[in-house]
Amino acid sequence: MTTVDTTATAGAAAAAPKVRAKVRATGQNPVMTWVWNTLGLGFAVVMGFPIYWMIITTFKTNKDLIAKDPTFWPQAFSFDSYKTIFDDKECLPGLQNTVVITLGAVVLGLVVGFLAAVAVARFGFRGRNFFIVTMLVVQMVPLLAIIVPLFVVMNKAGMTGTLFGAMLAYLVFTVPYVVWTLRSFIVNIPAELDEAAMVDGCTQWGAFFRVILPLTLPGLITTGVYSWIQAWNEFVVANVLLSTGGQKTSMIWLTFYATTPTRGADYGSQMAGALLVSLPVIVLFVIFQKKVSAGLTAGAVKG
Amino acid sequence: MSVTTNETPVAVEETAAAAAPPPRRRGFLAGGHYIPYAMILPAVAALVGVLAYPLYQLFDLSFQNINRYSYLVNPALSKYIGFEGYGKVLGDDQFWEVVLRSIWFTLELVVLSMVLGMLFALLLNRVSGWVKVICITVMMFVWAIPALVTGTIFRWLFASNGGVVDYIGYLFTGDEKTKHYDWFADPTVGLYVVGAAVIVWGALPFLVLGLNAALTQVPKELLEAAKLDGATGLQAFRHVVIPVIKPFLMISAALSFIWDFQVFAQIFSLRNTSPEPGYWTIGTYLFQKGIVASKYSDSSVISIAMILLMLAVLVFYIRQMLKIGAQDR
Repeated sequence: MTTVDTTATAGAAAAAPKVRAKVRATGQNPVMTWVWNTLGLGFAVVMGFPIYWMIITTFKTNKDLIAKDPTFWPQAFSFDSYKTIFDDKECLPGLQNTVVITLGAVVLGLVVGFLAAVAVARFGFRGRNFFIVTMLVVQMVPLLAIIVPLFVVMNKAGMTGTLFGAMLAYLVFTVPYVVWTLRSFIVNIPAELDEAAMVDGCTQWGAFFRVILPLTLPGLITTGVYSWIQAWNEFVVANVLLSTGGQKTSMIWLTFYATTPTRGADYGSQMAGALLVSLPVIVLFVIFQKKVSAGLTAGAVKG
Repeated sequence: MSVTTNETPVAVEETAAAAAPPPRRRGFLAGGHYIPYAMILPAVAALVGVLAYPLYQLFDLSFQNINRYSYLVNPALSKYIGFEGYGKVLGDDQFWEVVLRSIWFTLELVVLSMVLGMLFALLLNRVSGWVKVICITVMMFVWAIPALVTGTIFRWLFASNGGVVDYIGYLFTGDEKTKHYDWFADPTVGLYVVGAAVIVWGALPFLVLGLNAALTQVPKELLEAAKLDGATGLQAFRHVVIPVIKPFLMISAALSFIWDFQVFAQIFSLRNTSPEPGYWTIGTYLFQKGIVASKYSDSSVISIAMILLMLAVLVFYIRQMLKIGAQDR
């Protein structure tokens, strides 16, 4: 403790004792653990409150909803909000459209992106670095910025108002992300593994299906979940491209649900709809929780 | 969507590279020069079709005077006007107001979300297992809620009639006025406080979980060695932890910047699908001009300005990534 690094700034030295106490506390000092736990729970409460509010709103009766003071726990639980939502005849077609577009965008994105990722990770070809950097830059182009020309182009191709058009448009954000992330997964599979498989009598495709594919599966799941969320929650592109055909996705339906005067004050139904639309993503997260957090750092690994 | 493969820079790169000397190839794909090109072809085709051609269209549109009427109803009215459109948009005071607001807002969001994200990521390493599980579960839920919905939820939480935030404020102060405080009356408060709260709240799960995962990759031995050499906690953090998690820090900071600068959905739903001019950041402004007012050419100029602004900031980042790319293999 006496040999404090002289290169450290004065500020660092001044703030040091406090942080030092933190470091010592890990797993030893029960009082400090207690303090950290309280802080952690406080964080969880603040983060979770809007979610709690969203869920509790869907069960409130109208009396609670229009009460002058907000009610933190409803006096009676009511399922009217859900009934209103399910009775809305635009709800299910919207959900159906969203499922089709999302599924298409994710599957197409994974297939196309996986192929490119293998090429980038396993081949040294000319233009490779250019391709990788392009993938990175493409992720930075705001979709909102090209939405008008995209509409013009899609209109020329006769694809506005079709689900396939929206699906193709979503490839802009799924493909670069899949290539970029899967690449680091595949680079980490040693080439010796599939060489060994081939020495043992596998064909090239055999080696691919028996070695490369199973080892990339966690990466495929991670990138799949991410792409799914992005496509599922996308709103602007779908709104612009589909509006001419009168088609709706859940997000569009949800956004404009509240804009008619009769529904504007029906917070319960709006939240019930929102919850219904978010449910598939929540389920996906719960199932793949471990893989999602593990995949977070994958894209940042040098490879 | 006709893809003419010879016109785009990407495709030219492809054909030029076909004559390259045989690269090193190992494993299951040994042999066949064309294979890597065949494999990236679908990705290239998709991106060229959906991105490159619209990008070209974007520039084309920016030199014309097209709006929804002249595009769909009376095409004869549209003509090339050179840089007149640029002059019109860039000469608009509102445009510069919006740009400035976007820059301040983005700065606030990136700094807030990165600092809070780091603090909570460190906190997650200190708490007991069961608290960590609770925190992660809550964050997964927050993450799963669409951006559009988060805006709606916060609009109610901050409502001036029956809003929870005002009510809690009332419980603490006992002042009847706080109960009906209108957070949205002044756009500065509405955007920089409520707007920032929505966006940071929505961004935290990714940052906290990501930074926490990155922190677990820091080797314990390095930290112990630093401690033995007399480093204080903050010094160890600065000189050991930060360098190890730097790649993730850079990526997440860049992503935060990209997301926050073009933020749209949260503000859009926070103001119930029609944000007032005081809430317009560049993404919202673009939507108002391009989609609501259907001024296609004007919005193209704004889009180009937006892309250039982002690139100007990200050039530094891209150069760093290029360096990493050059070290590959």
